[in-house]
Amino acid sequence: MSDEIDNKQSILAQSSETMNEYSGSKAADVDYVRPAEVPDQDLYHGHSFITKWVFCQDAKVIGVQYFLTAVFTGIVGLILSWLMRLQLGFPGLAGFMTAEHYYQFVTMHGMIMVVYFLTALFLGGFGNYLIPLMVGARDMVFPYVNMISYWMFFVAVAVLMASFFVPGGPTGSGWTLYPPQAILEGTPGSGMGILLMLISLSLFVIGFTMGGLNYLITVLQARTRGMTLMRLPLTVWGIFTATVLAMLAFPALLVSSIMMTLDKVLGTSFFMPTILKAGEVLEYGGGSPILFQHLFWFFGHPEVYIVALPAFGIVSDLISVHARKNIFGYRMMVWAIVGIGALSFFVWAHHMYVSGMNPWFGFFFATTTLIIAVPTAMKVYNWIITLWRGNIRINTVMLWCLGFIVTFVNGGITGIFLGNVSVDVPLSDTYFVVAHFHMVMGIAPLMVIMGAVYHWFPLVAGRILDEGLGKWHFWITFLGAYSIYFPMHYLGFIGVPRRYFEMYDSPYMTSAIGMNEFISLAAFIVGAAQFILIYNIIKTLKTGKPAGKNPWKANSLEWHTSTVPPEHGNFGDRLPVVHRWPYDFSVPGAKEDFIPQTTPPSEVAHTEVEKT
Amino acid sequence: MSEQKIADYDLKPGFKGMATDTGSDQTMFKGVHWGKAMMWIFLLSDTFVFSCFLISYMKGRASTPIEWPYPSEVFALEVFGVSVPLLLIAIMTFVLITSSGTMALAVKYGYEKNRKMCGWLVLATAIGGLTFVGMQAFEWSKLIHEGVRPWENPFGAAQFGSFFFMITGFHGTHVSIGVIFLFIYAYKVFAGHYDTGKRGWFTSMKGDYVEIEILGLYWHFVDLVWVFIFAFFYLW
Amino acid sequence: MEEIKKKEEQTSTHKIGIYLWIWGLLFVLSFFSYMVDWYNFQGLLRWSLILFFMFLKAGLIMAFFMHLFWERYALVNVLLWPMTAIACFVALMVAEGKYTLFTRLFYFFVGGQ
Ligand code: HEM
Ligand SMILES: [Cu+2]
Repeated sequence: MSDEIDNKQSILAQSSETMNEYSGSKAADVDYVRPAEVPDQDLYHGHSFITKWVFCQDAKVIGVQYFLTAVFTGIVGLILSWLMRLQLGFPGLAGFMTAEHYYQFVTMHGMIMVVYFLTALFLGGFGNYLIPLMVGARDMVFPYVNMISYWMFFVAVAVLMASFFVPGGPTGSGWTLYPPQAILEGTPGSGMGILLMLISLSLFVIGFTMGGLNYLITVLQARTRGMTLMRLPLTVWGIFTATVLAMLAFPALLVSSIMMTLDKVLGTSFFMPTILKAGEVLEYGGGSPILFQHLFWFFGHPEVYIVALPAFGIVSDLISVHARKNIFGYRMMVWAIVGIGALSFFVWAHHMYVSGMNPWFGFFFATTTLIIAVPTAMKVYNWIITLWRGNIRINTVMLWCLGFIVTFVNGGITGIFLGNVSVDVPLSDTYFVVAHFHMVMGIAPLMVIMGAVYHWFPLVAGRILDEGLGKWHFWITFLGAYSIYFPMHYLGFIGVPRRYFEMYDSPYMTSAIGMNEFISLAAFIVGAAQFILIYNIIKTLKTGKPAGKNPWKANSLEWHTSTVPPEHGNFGDRLPVVHRWPYDFSVPGAKEDFIPQTTPPSEVAHTEVEKT
Repeated sequence: MSEQKIADYDLKPGFKGMATDTGSDQTMFKGVHWGKAMMWIFLLSDTFVFSCFLISYMKGRASTPIEWPYPSEVFALEVFGVSVPLLLIAIMTFVLITSSGTMALAVKYGYEKNRKMCGWLVLATAIGGLTFVGMQAFEWSKLIHEGVRPWENPFGAAQFGSFFFMITGFHGTHVSIGVIFLFIYAYKVFAGHYDTGKRGWFTSMKGDYVEIEILGLYWHFVDLVWVFIFAFFYLW
Repeated sequence: MEEIKKKEEQTSTHKIGIYLWIWGLLFVLSFFSYMVDWYNFQGLLRWSLILFFMFLKAGLIMAFFMHLFWERYALVNVLLWPMTAIACFVALMVAEGKYTLFTRLFYFFVGGQ
């Protein structure tokens, strides 16, 4: 750092008062930043309604498009969960519901929530909107490809939704789509349903690859002057690493989809063993169902972190801003994100302990799985230490963050149970697992999304969401979600199996029945509470309080654009120049309790800012 | 390409350079064009696709108790009454490597802004690719003629046919896409789009010879995959 | 001044000779790997030869045709580290393949009797 300063004396420091600090006549310029390596980006500006709002190449519009489409699928997933809970809590009340329907709803609910809702929302939605703004770029590096990415996703969603309306309905094989049952008669939707699911997934992967390349190269190659990797907000780190995982994990999903499509359409037997059906041997034979499970989980486990890592990143930023304190252990946080990401490729078969794989694998995968707990726990400690003695504002955003930490710790601890083979074997395929993964990858990331919506809505729409409604939304959702999932652990312990339509006359029926009713009621309430947010958004758009510039007094670049909401090109004529990390909050000696990333060192020479 | 200069930045070699590049602002891959970086990352992702295919093939083949056909015989070709093992595959390999060489030279001449040479070499590459696809079509029809199908195979395990058609098909698709782009780019080179910086039809981005290098990366990757398919599918 | 310019020109594109060399080597190596089949080597020898030629060819294509040899380490490392995940996947699937074969033989043939 210091010799860099010595070498450059081109521009004078902006504030003369700070110059006294530096003895000697040589006016060392502390504010010097290297010139731009790449010429300013050449953008295509749309002029018609179609090129501005439909086939738009502006990453911000694409982000909102992704967001809305993902929320639409999410609502479909939510309605499906209502229907399932209706059946589980009050069997027979929904007259049309058969066991087949139930399987189809479980499957579609799971797949929608994991892939089409959370992944698309975090990477497509938040990624597109925030990455260029936060790294100080005018747009994604290849806006055209980015636009195609969204429309591929759109088609993928359309194909997925179409499967509700084809003969036989959507597939009912569980979101894991395990062969051989997924494509055999007897499983609901084993005809067109599964085929459309596989096609939709392939389209999703192709579309996502286009977007993902954009996110990666924008972060790596299009940062603004002064923006080093270690000055990126953790949000960008989370989304970036998740995108890396997606680029390397989705291929396994694509390959398994292609192979299963061939099994279905051409009658190959990649995954199909010899099968005796009603006394008759089917045409299939010699394939390996377990191979599918390996491929699926080689994708599936990183997928869990594709959902979790952006949440980790975003929540770090939200906590730091709303506790007015720098994030504790920034570098540790970055390394934890990267480490978790790397490790997530070596743990996949912990989902297969009961599958009949090579028995030695249990040992390997239990070990690697438990190792991941270390960086994850480090992150939790760091969030808590960040809050420690912070100037915490208990607003809606902060409430969601706190809710996230609690929920995530809860889900993480049950994860440690399930990571051990001997504990997992009796618990797998029970409601304990359902409770675990909903806590850790359903509710926890959802809380972050909610927090992020309340946090960034003022940027996107220029108005602040209503706090009162927000608090109602939070408390109902938080307490309600706990009412749903906490009892499920108990259901798992008494052995209630997962993916069951009904308990019939099982011995645990009596003790589970009341609990199931309670859980279902809570699920209805929680689901309904989400419409408070939608109402809040509509109301705010009409009559909300104008946010003005930087309402949360945050440091990162997205709040320091030329206009609010930012226009196409983000930063007006001149790109910002970055001098520090985004976490200079409550710096001793500073005039205000935040120092934006663009503030040059000479302006804060008397303060104790961190060296970043 | 390599060793260009960056204003006020000391490009250190080796791991030291890796550390400073990673720690620096603006770009991590110094001097690498956005599109080229993007192609590299895409190829990394595509490597995982082909790896998954080949791993599935390996797992499928390793776990079948039924006899696996002997590729050396299955892929033999009769020439003047003598059966030469893997002859067609050898020729296909030859053609693909040839086209890879012409592509490498096209990239070189592209950087020297030698429009004519670059254009002809890209065209030669395209024709090489087309020949490869044609020979693959011949190979497929020969096997189908002999009764090999994706779902069955008279020589042994049915999975042989399944994996063969799937993997070579997927590779062939990559080659075909490459050939289409090679023809388009050959046209663009000859028409001088890269000298004048004419904007692209869809993307409206300015043309530049770096696009030839980007396409070259893709083409070499296709060749690279063939090296693995050749080793694992035909020689194993 | 002249000298610097000349040097830049030399480094920004490579001499044609190197491409021709690599090209030739690729043909030779392909020929060798073909010979492995021709002479019908079997067992470990076949395996090691196939893999040796394969990796050599792949390495040459990546290093020279795809210019990785001249790229900075930041890019090279980003591209090569993810291969560890593939290596792990391959290794585990080798074990899994053997185990599946074992169970099949055991339950279909031994167990069936
Ligand atoms: C109000 C919120 C939600 C409710 C009430 C709910 C309810 C349910 C129910 C009842 C099941 C079926 C359990 C079974 O029969 O085995 C289920 C499965 C599942 N849910 Fe949710 N869920 C909610 C949110 C989410 C979210 C946000 C995610 C995102 C990760 C998610 C992911 C899944 C997955 C992956 C499955 C497993 C599907 C399968 O077994 O194939 N859920 N959920
Ligand atoms: Cu997992």
